Amino acid sequence: MNFKQMISPAKRLGAVMTGLVLLGTGLSAQAATDEYLLTVTRPNQLHVIDTKTDKLLRSCDVPGIFGNGGIAASPDGKIAYVMTNKWEDVYGFNINDCKIVFSMKQSSKGVQVKSMISMTVSADGKELYTVQNPVKLHKDHFETLQPRLAVYKTADGMNAKPVRTYPVDRRITKLGFIEKTGEVILGGADVKAIDPTNGKIRTLAKLQNWDRSPEGWVPPDAFAMHTLGEHIGEYIMPYFTIKWNGAPGDMEKAEFLWGMTKVDTKTGEVTSGEVLPFEFIVFNWLTDPNDEDIVYGSFNQLSKHNIKEGKTLAVQPMPHTYYNINMLQDGSKIYVGGTSSDISVHDPKTLKKIGSIQLSGDMSTSDLRIAKVQR
Amino acid sequence: MKNHSMKRVLRFGGAVAFLGFASTVSAIEGPQVIKENCLLCHSETGKAEAPFSRISQQRKTPEGWQMTINRMKSQRGLKLKPEDERVLIKYLADTQGLAPSETADLRYVLEREPNVIEADIPEHVAGTCTGCHSSARSGLQRRTADEWEKLVHFHMGQVPSIEYLAGHRDRPWFQIAVNETSVKLGEGYPLVTKAWDDWKAAPKAMLNGDWVMSGYMPDKGEFSASVSVMPNKKDEYILLLNGHYADGSKLSGSGSAKVFAGYEWRGAVVIDGRKMRQVFAASEDGKTMTGRMFLKNDDVIGGAIVAKKATKAPVVVAVSPTYIKQGSTQVLKITGANLSEKISLGKGIKVVGVEKKTPDYMLVKVTASAKAAVGNRTLTVGSTATDSAVVVYDSVARVDITPSDSIARIGGNGGPVAKQKSIYRAIGFAAGSDGKPGTEDDIKLGYMPATWSLKPFDAVAEEEHDLKYAGKINSQGIFTPGDAGLNPERKMSTNNVGNLTVVGTVTEGGAAVAGEAHLLVTVQDYVKELIQ
Repeated sequence: MNFKQMISPAKRLGAVMTGLVLLGTGLSAQAATDEYLLTVTRPNQLHVIDTKTDKLLRSCDVPGIFGNGGIAASPDGKIAYVMTNKWEDVYGFNINDCKIVFSMKQSSKGVQVKSMISMTVSADGKELYTVQNPVKLHKDHFETLQPRLAVYKTADGMNAKPVRTYPVDRRITKLGFIEKTGEVILGGADVKAIDPTNGKIRTLAKLQNWDRSPEGWVPPDAFAMHTLGEHIGEYIMPYFTIKWNGAPGDMEKAEFLWGMTKVDTKTGEVTSGEVLPFEFIVFNWLTDPNDEDIVYGSFNQLSKHNIKEGKTLAVQPMPHTYYNINMLQDGSKIYVGGTSSDISVHDPKTLKKIGSIQLSGDMSTSDLRIAKVQR
Repeated sequence: MKNHSMKRVLRFGGAVAFLGFASTVSAIEGPQVIKENCLLCHSETGKAEAPFSRISQQRKTPEGWQMTINRMKSQRGLKLKPEDERVLIKYLADTQGLAPSETADLRYVLEREPNVIEADIPEHVAGTCTGCHSSARSGLQRRTADEWEKLVHFHMGQVPSIEYLAGHRDRPWFQIAVNETSVKLGEGYPLVTKAWDDWKAAPKAMLNGDWVMSGYMPDKGEFSASVSVMPNKKDEYILLLNGHYADGSKLSGSGSAKVFAGYEWRGAVVIDGRKMRQVFAASEDGKTMTGRMFLKNDDVIGGAIVAKKATKAPVVVAVSPTYIKQGSTQVLKITGANLSEKISLGKGIKVVGVEKKTPDYMLVKVTASAKAAVGNRTLTVGSTATDSAVVVYDSVARVDITPSDSIARIGGNGGPVAKQKSIYRAIGFAAGSDGKPGTEDDIKLGYMPATWSLKPFDAVAEEEHDLKYAGKINSQGIFTPGDAGLNPERKMSTNNVGNLTVVGTVTEGGAAVAGEAHLLVTVQDYVKELIQ
């Protein structure tokens, strides 16, 4: 809501960037895109970072109590939708001036509604989607209600109300949007897609309900707190599974594996399967824009893998845990963030640290997203 | 009797006497407290057998009701006068409590015994509830089927992330919990049981009188005490303890206790300047109490208690040690009341004589012949026989450390959570008739003195220097973890967590036999509840 006063060089840069954003139309080449790194820190601020200089441009105060720090950027990169108030409310910020241009509260009197990081925006930027988990608060007891996809019109501005809702599965985490089909990707026990005009759901990839025998496989633990892959138009749902080469439970012969369901968010094309042996915990993965076989992961280490060959190529130990990872669309820099108060910048070739961005508070579970703004 | 008790109280200490007499009979009754404080949300059903919604459909322990009221205060805006709260908890625990047989196997969680590995967890509770709670937490509740279902819905509203947690999200947690688990809980732990109906109707024994107690405190060892229990107002008692620690030094203390549901004894005592809590269960005949006594501010530091009501005939509560080696002379401490000096331990064991006798114990020197038969012996003291009181053995062949798997938690260092220690004892075994330790016929000897040390649990612990940072164990088997907070000396500036092996070594005649236990030193527990 308020423009946070930053140190003067950053402020000047911010002014320059604003000018560029206002100018930009019509150029579609990669070189004509400015990329801004977005994240949220405690107590509750949205930060906008210029990826050219890796300097903080501005910090916007987010109303309400810190939530999960979920962020979805509008396709034109100008608006950052931030989930706040303990996973209940969403505010849309103009990233140029911190002005709030959109707001909605999901809970109402008598119904508590939480979204577990489930938020995305349509390819035309006109609709915002959340998956809502409502619980009705009766006088002396609670009643769990069916989760639903809620569709908001971004043009409705402040205090927006859902224009449509459709029932969906329980346990949905991150959402994506498929440009070609106009569907919202629902990442849950299985990866599904819902048509937000009529609520029709189809399965993109079966995970927990896959057709494999429990004698041979442990149903996958598919979970992702953070939405990743927007730098190349990809949605990744990672999963962990165990392949029993002997009797179920025989750990000696078992293989511990990472799998991934990937959705091309332009075409809707889906690939799903095991890609790497499980060597250590990775919280989030993303694909190298210049080589689809190369993925990077973050947690207690930054790591680089070839998923075609199932090999770990490099591991960079980190000074603390970083939940989150993102990179520029030209593949020139990796950003590792989340958890603590610094974003670590790395060279994708060597994984060596090449920079650091210090923030004013801890990122905790917050997103680390990239807003792409056409010049 | 009452006058006599009062005199003794006054003689023994003003503070206790004040505690006892200060409480006045409350005019307000439980149902009235509910009507005056709870009906903004709860409703009257109009049914005499279950008059209040969500309240009358449950039964719990005193701690269970305390937790419910705590939650109503912290989350739902309940404001309750302390005296009304006491009346309400007493009323609910008495009229909607659990029968002795319903709590018998799960008392460890009420007693706050650390490092219990739960056995016989119902299949429907494992995985659905045990990710966050002990199995005993649900096992110590009785509800209607509808109430168990409402409990699942409560969890969804109170902890919205519950179905997303690791260990829950790999299955349809909510659907399983609401459609299967709650149904099975309703079948296994129903509101109406014969056990509770019978117990409610049964006459309850008064617990006042003279008792003798045997117990263990990790930093003091085994102790014995005579306990005078005097009635105060209904279901409330004043108690005085006088006894001895293992080294013969004196123990004295006093305090008060309240009894819920006719057998749930909850005591607050000060023993030699230390505030302690007692969580005991009285036997149905009111002649025995068992449970645990622990430091109020450090509940890991405590131990098992057995108390028996004194009678004219000798009462034996405990014998220590519980073993006699063939061909050796041993002094046994027999804890009890009105102990006779007519003592027998059967063939091959000669009672040399009574070395010391006090109101709460006597020391008896005994000699086992080299050929005394290996095995359990019955101790006879006057007319009182105690089976398997001691065991004759040939040599210590195996040592087990209890607990075998354990955790301690870093803390302190200016943070809000104190360190959570862990405590260990060594249990000796003889090899039995096959001469091989670790087989089924091993003979359990009991707790043995041991020396204590630590080592890294595995190669990772060694590489991370866990031994240097995670904490220290003292000569009494008490492990004190390291300070909380980041440690810049460690990899990733991690805190002083660690993965260790506790080694307890029993030495007998120059031969050392060691046992090991696993110790995980982990982070603070910020959500510590009355029933974990």
